[in-house]
Amino acid sequence: MADIFLNFPAFCLGSQQRTVADAAADGDLLSTADALTAAGFNQHCHCDAHETAYDLAKGALDDMLTSYPETRQRLPDIDVILYVTCLPLNGNHGNVDEFAVSRDVKHLMDFPASRLQADFDMDRAFVMGLNQQACTGMLGSIRVAAALLRSEPDLQQALCITADRFPPGAVYEQAYNLISDGGAACIVSTTPGGYRLLGAHHITNGAMATASDEETAGFYFNYSHRLITELCANAGITPAEVNWIVPQNTNRKAWRILASVLRFDFERILMPTIGSVGHCISGDNIINLKTVAGADQIKVGDTLLMPMAGFGLNWSCLLLEKVAD
Amino acid sequence: MSTTMAETILITGADGYIGSLISTWLLEHTDARLMLWVRADHDAELEAKRAHLHQQHAAHGERIQVCYGNLQNEAPLDSIDPEPIQRIIHVAAVTEFNVTRERADAVNRDGTRKVLAFARRCPHLQRFCYVSTTYVAGLAQGGIAEQPMPADGPFANHYERSKCEAENILLHEFDDLPWHIYRPSTVMAHDAAGTVMQYNVFHNTMRLLFYGLISTMPGLADTPIYMVTGKFVGNAIAELSVKPIAQRQIFHVCHTETESLALGQMLAVCFREFGTDAGFRKRRILPPLLTEFEMFEMLANELKGLSAQVVSQAVESIRPFAQQLFIHKAFHNDNLRAALDHYQAPDPTALLAATVQTLIHTKWGREP
Repeated sequence: MADIFLNFPAFCLGSQQRTVADAAADGDLLSTADALTAAGFNQHCHCDAHETAYDLAKGALDDMLTSYPETRQRLPDIDVILYVTCLPLNGNHGNVDEFAVSRDVKHLMDFPASRLQADFDMDRAFVMGLNQQACTGMLGSIRVAAALLRSEPDLQQALCITADRFPPGAVYEQAYNLISDGGAACIVSTTPGGYRLLGAHHITNGAMATASDEETAGFYFNYSHRLITELCANAGITPAEVNWIVPQNTNRKAWRILASVLRFDFERILMPTIGSVGHCISGDNIINLKTVAGADQIKVGDTLLMPMAGFGLNWSCLLLEKVAD
Repeated sequence: MSTTMAETILITGADGYIGSLISTWLLEHTDARLMLWVRADHDAELEAKRAHLHQQHAAHGERIQVCYGNLQNEAPLDSIDPEPIQRIIHVAAVTEFNVTRERADAVNRDGTRKVLAFARRCPHLQRFCYVSTTYVAGLAQGGIAEQPMPADGPFANHYERSKCEAENILLHEFDDLPWHIYRPSTVMAHDAAGTVMQYNVFHNTMRLLFYGLISTMPGLADTPIYMVTGKFVGNAIAELSVKPIAQRQIFHVCHTETESLALGQMLAVCFREFGTDAGFRKRRILPPLLTEFEMFEMLANELKGLSAQVVSQAVESIRPFAQQLFIHKAFHNDNLRAALDHYQAPDPTALLAATVQTLIHTKWGREP
């Protein structure tokens, strides 16, 4: 089976920043500001009235091109674009109001993935849109990309990209997490570099598709524990043998508890952006990965887990190994 | 069983679950007259409780007399004539694990002292029966004999502390009384068929697990959990209270470790029984992860400010006894076995399974 590598993590956040206290004062939270601050959240980023989810996708790709100049040469050779949205409405760039007037559904099928291909001249690429995995969508797209690259030798690199903004008026708290609008991207390829994909695991409990926040939280620990232990077992290791966990930005104390039951040192859980970004829907792992990689914290040969939980209910996790670039 | 010349027995907390069971047994098995003392602050409250008790014990209406007071008042039993009373069974207490220090002190400790002082004024008193709890052992580990426990604990909560302090008041300030101390453990079900008549923290925890609201629990898998039926407790206490046996004895009204399940075993049985419910199976709820005490405390603290009110309240209900789930105790019940005519421990797995089935089918008491 061919080795698959994840590389060039990049992201873009909504242009507006707001403290937890201000978000609470604006009535956009469910929990108290103090409770969310104690959980590790300080501020979040949200879009202004004119910013679209597609703007965030473009921003993430711009960040990739800026942060890794070599990707300018790679982008034209992208074979497939896997474009992920958490909220299905972000999978349409069209104006819903125009549909209401014209009754023409093409206004509901203005796909951002197609726009991205054209706007960034990825003419070789074909596009696939993915959704219905909520926050686990980005990790799901990486898994799909790996499967495509392994099953179709002509395909050598995929762009995985996720972008979501909450609609105007939305509460910016989900399942006790402060939310940021944002996009994230990475390239999944057969070319060595970045992180080798050692394994992927995903659990869906469809019976809990309409779970309340309380039920979601209630399921969090044991399903996350099961997800990680099963993924590690498939790789022939224990969680404690993994060097790092680069998780979604969720309550720090929840991670302390989960680390305890996983027998994993909390100090090896890397979520440096929880305070500044919060839970950026489907992109947290990528955002944290780019941030810790910039700090040179992860060494060649280190292994890391990237877990994510989302509505649906879905739990997804990747096991990666840092390789020499 | 006949008491001598139709004794008069005063039972405090007579309208509570255990108090009612004791009263029923005494009415059915003795010819004693019962003074049923209930907590009431005014006539209307008393009348409601009086009507309920007369209805409950309708077959023996002429043998019961309902009286009332409040253990937090200065002289809660002053309306009772001490002259005819030959036995007192002091059941009244606040039994919630999350009781406040002030209330636990006022009712369980100081209230007991008032009842003891009243007992001393009863010229014909033959036995003072204090209904305590196995939780007076607090956080002690290992073998727990039917012996006095130190009043200075340590304890997991004010319920345990206040009950232990009350025992020690009896033992040190009123040792001249002809006393018995009965220490029941937690009531899981009313009877061996798993009928549930009183809901407590055990049933609440089962509810949270069944609905998937908690995925972590404090505790160690091999910690024994001591559960009894209400009938066992009520019958045993009632029988011992009138039996011609030695005074100044402590009885553990519970079963031994070998007759009980450990926490991990209990969870396994519960989830097996939960699995018989199609809705539960559909939801694919996993058994909880057993966490360290500090982690559970962290979770409880963390939930307080979040909007997770149901889960927070649920976790708070477990919190006051969480420490107990880490402590391996081995309760002895030699005194109880020796004194009861027919000591019998139920099959703990069958009892738990039947109880869980009752909880599922009645939706925790919401449906008949």
